[in-house]
Amino acid sequence: MIALEQVTIGIGARPLVREIDAEIRAGEFVAVLGPNGVGKTTLLRAMCGIRPVISGHIALDGTPLRNLSPTARARAIAFVTSDDSMIETLRVRDVVAIGRFPHHPWWEWNANAQDDAAIEHALRAVHFEAEAERLFSTLSSGERQRVWIAMGLAQATPVLLLDEPTSHLDVRVAHEILALLRNLAREGRTIVCVLHDLNDAAAYADRLMLLGCERMLACDVADRVLAPELIERAYGIAVTRVETPQGPRVFAAVRA
Amino acid sequence: MKVWRLPAILALTLLACAASLLAGGSAIAPAVIMRALMHPHASGDVATIVWQLRMPRVAISAVVGGALAIGGALLQGMLRNPLVDPYLTGVSAGAAAAIALAVIAGVAAPLLPALGFVAGLGTAVLVAALARRGSGVDSNRLILAGISISALFSAVVTFALVRSISIDAAQAILAWLGGSMAGRGWGDLVFATPYLLAGIALAALAASPLDALRVGDVRARTVGVDVDRAQWLILASTSLLAAASVALAGMVGFVGLIVPHVARRIVGSSARLLLPACALCGAALCTFADAIARSIAAPSELPIGVLLAFIGVPAFLYLYLHQERVG
Repeated sequence: MIALEQVTIGIGARPLVREIDAEIRAGEFVAVLGPNGVGKTTLLRAMCGIRPVISGHIALDGTPLRNLSPTARARAIAFVTSDDSMIETLRVRDVVAIGRFPHHPWWEWNANAQDDAAIEHALRAVHFEAEAERLFSTLSSGERQRVWIAMGLAQATPVLLLDEPTSHLDVRVAHEILALLRNLAREGRTIVCVLHDLNDAAAYADRLMLLGCERMLACDVADRVLAPELIERAYGIAVTRVETPQGPRVFAAVRA
Repeated sequence: MKVWRLPAILALTLLACAASLLAGGSAIAPAVIMRALMHPHASGDVATIVWQLRMPRVAISAVVGGALAIGGALLQGMLRNPLVDPYLTGVSAGAAAAIALAVIAGVAAPLLPALGFVAGLGTAVLVAALARRGSGVDSNRLILAGISISALFSAVVTFALVRSISIDAAQAILAWLGGSMAGRGWGDLVFATPYLLAGIALAALAASPLDALRVGDVRARTVGVDVDRAQWLILASTSLLAAASVALAGMVGFVGLIVPHVARRIVGSSARLLLPACALCGAALCTFADAIARSIAAPSELPIGVLLAFIGVPAFLYLYLHQERVG
């Protein structure tokens, strides 16, 4: 379980979101929503312990994150981000293998059978096992996205945080990835995922955490979060809510 | 795994060392050299040439080439920038400036390597201090600080050259700038060894984090790398290796920049293979270049830095452009 207690996050000393109180249970799929620049990525980075909070506490199963060593943290929480920053000529398998880093002491050189199994499993999960030997630099942005997700999966952690995992993906692959995350949650993994599509979030996540106006405006089931007044408050745009057999969906009111 | 390629590179390195033992002002038959190698305590001209002149040269050029190539691979990996070399730490410019001023002030020649080492390392500390942000190193600041401080000290060297009163002093300074192992012996190697070993030990500690850094600082942090610690390790290792190299051979350019690229093509980018491959390739290249530098215009010597640029740059460009065309 991840517990956020009076957490204020920001860039340097400048707060972005203040005083978040939330609990994310094991096996839960929570989608983080909010307008650009509201602090979704910063919140995820704080939740995986690579960015300090301005105030408050984040705890994983009762242990404050800051008390965990980098390795212990990396065995518990994986973070999938899509920003590209590499020059090396790495193959897809090499990239995914880096997810196994926390499972090795620094002097251990070779991958063991467990690593190979985790890498295979991760590549299969994103339907990319046939491309394992391809050079990463030759992949499209959508394909790269799948490799980053596979790297997070290979880390084999109980908690998986993902920053916009469906960006750059076509609609079919995006839904495959969201269905995969849904299944992982069903198997007991905790998934916290930044999404931009409110209806995707409603369709796949157990709860929606909506950020806006420097606050956490809601962290609840889709039925309560997809309230037009709440969405308008967060995004500054009017929406129409439509009830469907799959649950509520919202659409931006288009001015002709 | 391309680990089987390491013994092949090792064989090539040993071949370069053998070629370098044969090269020199006086022609000595290979069999005679072999005999002298078998009897290290024998007396006579050949034994002296082999054990007191050529062997230290071979050892020093191998060590300098290896150290600079490891430093280059570490820094390129850390900054994910293929255009940096270990001299970005400011080591060579700082050492050159101190040596230029010392030569003008009339400091005795045997003191220069140690002075160069201390000044080089001191400059690296200054550059690192300027590049520091929070508890880690800011890549852009490091590049900016390295280039700026190096430019400043290069100006000091130019000033010293302009103001040098004798041709001898100017030539002594130029010998440092062009890179040379002339007159170096076992004593210099003994002086540099502890620092080289410390640099290599730190590089070994940094190898595993360096592999994770290939996918970016943020991802490296998320898989449990203490990125700040890794950056300081890499900077300390590179600075020690570069400073020891500068103390031994002056400014030997090109090796730290190019050899990591060549080694990466041979064994891939995993630091655990790349660093040993760089050590061997750098050693082979420098030893071979030193052999040519000593023999091409014997009895005088060419600066090894100049020679490396003459041979290495066109070869490297050909390799790169050819591979791109093939690819």
